Amino acid sequence: MRMMRKWLLSLPLAALLAASPARAAGTLTIAQAQDPNNWDPIATFLISWGSVAGNFFEGLVTRDESLKLQPGLATSWEVLNNGLRLRFHLRQGVTFSNGEPFNAEAVKFTMERLLGPEGKKGPQQSNYTAIKTVEISDPYTVDLVMDQPDPVMITKLAGYGAMMVPPKYVTEKGAAGFATAPVGTGPFKVVDYQPKVSVTLEPNATYWGAKAKLDRVIYKFIAEPDTQLAELQAGGIDIASNLSVAATGIVQKDPKLVLNSITGPTVVVLRLNTAHGPTTDERVRRAMIMAVDRDAIVKQILQGQAKAVVSFQSDLSFGFDPAQKPVPFDPAGAKKLLAEAKLAPGTAMILDFPSNNTTFREAAQAVAGYLSAVGIKVQVRPQEQNVYTNDIIPNGKTGEMFQFGWGGWTFDYDNTAFLLYHSGQHWNPYDKDATLDGMLEAQRLVADRGEREKKLQAIAHYVADHALEIPMYNLNTIYGLNKRVKGFVPPPDNRVRLSGVTVE
Amino acid sequence: MTGFLVRRIAIAVFVVFVVTLLVAWAVRLSGDPAVMLTGAGNVTEQDLINIRKGLGLDRPFSAQYAGFVGGMLTGDMGKSFMGGTPVAKLVGHALPLTLLLTFVSLALALLMSIPLGIHAAVHKGRWADQTIRIVSLVGLSFPNFWLALMLVLVFGVALRWLPPSGADGVSSLIMPAVTIAIILTATTVRLVRTTMLETLSAQYIMVARAKGLREVVVLYRHALRNCAIPLITYIGLQFGGLIGGVVVVERVFNWPGMGSLAFDAVASRDYPVLQACVTVLATMIVVINLLIDIGYGMIDPRMRSR
Repeated sequence: MRMMRKWLLSLPLAALLAASPARAAGTLTIAQAQDPNNWDPIATFLISWGSVAGNFFEGLVTRDESLKLQPGLATSWEVLNNGLRLRFHLRQGVTFSNGEPFNAEAVKFTMERLLGPEGKKGPQQSNYTAIKTVEISDPYTVDLVMDQPDPVMITKLAGYGAMMVPPKYVTEKGAAGFATAPVGTGPFKVVDYQPKVSVTLEPNATYWGAKAKLDRVIYKFIAEPDTQLAELQAGGIDIASNLSVAATGIVQKDPKLVLNSITGPTVVVLRLNTAHGPTTDERVRRAMIMAVDRDAIVKQILQGQAKAVVSFQSDLSFGFDPAQKPVPFDPAGAKKLLAEAKLAPGTAMILDFPSNNTTFREAAQAVAGYLSAVGIKVQVRPQEQNVYTNDIIPNGKTGEMFQFGWGGWTFDYDNTAFLLYHSGQHWNPYDKDATLDGMLEAQRLVADRGEREKKLQAIAHYVADHALEIPMYNLNTIYGLNKRVKGFVPPPDNRVRLSGVTVE
Repeated sequence: MTGFLVRRIAIAVFVVFVVTLLVAWAVRLSGDPAVMLTGAGNVTEQDLINIRKGLGLDRPFSAQYAGFVGGMLTGDMGKSFMGGTPVAKLVGHALPLTLLLTFVSLALALLMSIPLGIHAAVHKGRWADQTIRIVSLVGLSFPNFWLALMLVLVFGVALRWLPPSGADGVSSLIMPAVTIAIILTATTVRLVRTTMLETLSAQYIMVARAKGLREVVVLYRHALRNCAIPLITYIGLQFGGLIGGVVVVERVFNWPGMGSLAFDAVASRDYPVLQACVTVLATMIVVINLLIDIGYGMIDPRMRSR
């Protein structure tokens, strides 16, 4: 309690009473729903981390707003020895924002930390297990020696766990200290972090690339989309990053605001219970897909802020096949197929979904309506999010249908397909198919991009042919902007790049 | 008196102990912090096992519970599962904000409800009384989140007098406090009116008036004092409910208090944070009740034997 009293009397009230000054010129304020809580790259998987930390951390490679790989802290790289050795030529004269030099030692430290006991405590290590050792040949050349080829590795180096960290600083601060006061090489640096409240960035004066134009960026954590909307309308924030579909109309009508939406990384499908009940019959599953009008759901319920999908990936995903055609909406055909499968009219089914997903709640009711039209009585069953992801899905306690949203930031279909369809995977309670398992394993061993893409496309076709899921939609990320914000490009991977942004 | 005190304090300590046991047990009934920690994202079974081990969740319940209670007793609330921030720091930021919001709301509610309640009682049955009763009924019927959103729309968005959310300056305190105060006033005004009516029919009020005292003195010095006891009891009870019950209002206004902290902790199954929140709030409520008990005991010797 001694500690408690000290805290009670100190900061917060003083902070409350001293209101921050009104919006200063050059200051951009962004609202984001979630505080990622931990800024250490090896300890997180959250999109809310990437959207902020992408501005102060950098990897060896980077991706631009169109998801193309670009040189990052490495100016170039070579794939040697059939993908068993990846050689990186590092950018010279780069320092971390605390002044520490960036060089091959820093790369080695970062990668060994990720692959060692510290990385083991976090969720990132498993993405990089194909790396065996890190070899330094000179201060600006470093090799990743691989156990086996990993075709997605270069992309992964642009993402989360392998963001470069300063060796001396991390050693001094320890994991806990680094988690709340991170230091990277990016165009911005963190100057203040108030857990659950805000994080403030300022330009990194020693940045190697184009300097940021803003004087200051404040991310405010605001969980409720309606509160974000109110703040945006009132001018308290410049960018709302988690607007609901319902808010789009309001933003469009406001002359001071502009709506900016983009394909998001998250695809939503209704997965089907292929192990128990009526949905074990492939004809029933196919009929259910035919009975649901996805385009109408996208247009009416999602107000066009989504795209109907044919497989469990967005059209930006590696493995997406533009030639793959959706199953057309055909209730009459569905009825015929159900009769053929001898499914009694009025058969009851259950659709599970996480109760906090208000957008999907409406889509679920629409699905129930469509299915009732072909004689399937659907009970829509909302589940508490945590129980849903921890118990209901992995332990196979769902009904015939269950909502599943998946956002692979690598935009590589492998990331979705392997974890969701391969038998024995955590997120795959039902599907067991030796053919599919074989296809999923085989593509991982292919180093050639074109060949692997074909194999991934074949997996998407196989899943559709066997009607393993009802494809639904790829939801847009909806940004609301104050018109004083210039140069904002909405990113499909949710990683807002702020270097080129200005405010008037 | 000493025996009474010892007994009361022993009961209070026991209640807090039971609360800690209940919360530690209940938070572990469902959900897995390891999965939430990874954003329910792209993780393998082995990752989850590693993370659980890192959080100490592979230990038996008794060891985890002992760690939690032992820590609380020595002033160490542990670290948040989400990011490792010391829980004492999180609670230290959130608790004063919730207390501030609660006290200001209560003060506002009393400032509104006492004069209104007295006015209604004095003008019993006339239009002023009817209006106050109807308006308070309407206030009673508002769901707090709706009222909160309406205030935001009017004063935050349309008029722009007040910031719609956050805890940034005194102006940001007004809307959340008024929201809670309006709903609290609706019930309190009715209590004040009823007790005032009873008091006003007492003989000493007649005597006071007969002495020729001014009506204001009669009402606020003689009558109000005698209404104070039920009012204080009621407010004391409300206080406990308020501290725990401001979750919705805190969330709508993005007020980073105990309600928001606990809410997030529930969603992410952040055991240390949730356990600390519940224990701190329960301890405060128990202490308030203890003080009320002791206060009664001092006023009324008959209570001490109970």
